[in-house]
Amino acid sequence: MKNAFFVCLFFAVFNCHADDVAAGRAKSDTACSLCHGANGISTLPNAPNLAGQQAIYVTEQLRNYRSGKRQNEVMNLIAKNLTDPEIAQLGAWFSAIKVNVETP
Amino acid sequence: MKCFKLAAIAATVAALGATVANAQDQNLERLKGMGNTATSMNIATVPQEGKNADAIRANLKNVKLPDGFKIELYAVVPDARYMAVAPSTNMLFVGTRKTTVWAVTNRNNGDTATEVKAFAPSIKFSNPNGVAFTKDGFLIVAESNRILHFPAAEYFYEGPDVAVGVVVPEGKLIPVAEQSFNHTGRVVKVDKDGKIYVNLGQPYNVQPADKVALFDEVGIGGIVRYNGLDGTGRTVYSRGMRNPTGLSIGPKGDMWATDQQVDGLGDDIPPGELNKLTKAGEHFGFPYYNGHFKVAGSSAAMDLKDMKEPAGHIFPQVEFPAHQAQLGLTHYTGTTFPKKYQGGLFVAAHGSWNRSVPSGYLVNFVPIKADGNAGPSEVFADGFLDKTTGRALARPVDVANLPDGSILVSDDYAGALYRISYSGN
Repeated sequence: MKNAFFVCLFFAVFNCHADDVAAGRAKSDTACSLCHGANGISTLPNAPNLAGQQAIYVTEQLRNYRSGKRQNEVMNLIAKNLTDPEIAQLGAWFSAIKVNVETP
Repeated sequence: MKCFKLAAIAATVAALGATVANAQDQNLERLKGMGNTATSMNIATVPQEGKNADAIRANLKNVKLPDGFKIELYAVVPDARYMAVAPSTNMLFVGTRKTTVWAVTNRNNGDTATEVKAFAPSIKFSNPNGVAFTKDGFLIVAESNRILHFPAAEYFYEGPDVAVGVVVPEGKLIPVAEQSFNHTGRVVKVDKDGKIYVNLGQPYNVQPADKVALFDEVGIGGIVRYNGLDGTGRTVYSRGMRNPTGLSIGPKGDMWATDQQVDGLGDDIPPGELNKLTKAGEHFGFPYYNGHFKVAGSSAAMDLKDMKEPAGHIFPQVEFPAHQAQLGLTHYTGTTFPKKYQGGLFVAAHGSWNRSVPSGYLVNFVPIKADGNAGPSEVFADGFLDKTTGRALARPVDVANLPDGSILVSDDYAGALYRISYSGN
């Protein structure tokens, strides 16, 4: 299980685990999208966009919010109930969203 | 060497910041002097028909109302929050928590708005959530840390350059050091004497012990009052609130305010509050209480365990189910709804964001009894949450009276205003 978790993170960019992406999307719909948007573009001016965010960054930060190592009143609450598989799935989902970048 | 480099960088950043700030101040200064900015005369409008409007109408089929009532899409208004209906013309202003104040007009006296466009586009608004009209047609816009007013806004909004005045300058509503985005969507209302009330949420879940005295003194976590448009006479009218998100002053002058509850204490505690404000200087319990629940010393506020119960504090008149997030409210002032609704309060419940099973996403009705106190709250409009998927179809924010006796409900999720009218017998 732990190996699969590690491999999933490594290959998240290549969308190799479609199951994780779908599960992450479902979890995001109920736990994340109200503030971070259904497509990862945030709806709140003080919540960051997560579309296309690095999987490893997302999972590490969610773990840090869960443990309290990173402090944010809202995220500490949200992350408290996330399991390791859910955290991996959310990393897979957000990193799988394609973004086009255009500088001004 | 290091100090020099840091100073140079700091100077550049400050200069850049000053350039942007100067351009912004220039527009505001020009408009204050009834001058022109370089803004285009063509203000873009928001499409009111098409795929988005159709999808919103389809979602409304899920909404349940009492017999004889119906709900329709009135206007597509992105990020729609609090509303101020114009005193003389067929339009209203809608605040947002982003950077736009919308002007919504019904040009043909039909069932829907015909035009939605940005108000005063040359002014850079920051979280212009709260809007209200004075009796003589001044629009007040309350942002996180500034309050502006706009004479005759219901006429001047047709062009991009509007007359503007400053009620409270930037940085003077609350101390700049306490600024945040969280809980600073202001709500502003005006009483019959022209006094201006502004809700101030405190930015934390529960403020830490070392902020309690400061917030009490400044009115953060309370409601402040100004004499009028000149912004003089700032007093802390109410304190002991967490994040007051609604305020309604009735035709008889009675004042009611909602308050948001603490997060992280579980799905069912503590309750949301509806408070009755009777006079200046009242304390509504927070952070010691939320509803009847003792927050001080709980897991959400361990550092407040030695806090004393505030003297003379007032419990809420109505406690709402936890996390439904009742936001804006208004007295029903029309006469076309059945008698039981006349003079009572409609309250918009935004819906939960941190409950294991979503709750809220509805509109409550709270009657006001003959003795002036609240009767029990009932659910008036339900179904803004799709219960099969657990996802929001809409998140009600505020309620406003239209002159024809119907009411508007704003929604910052789909970005729309809905009109609820009564046609039954």
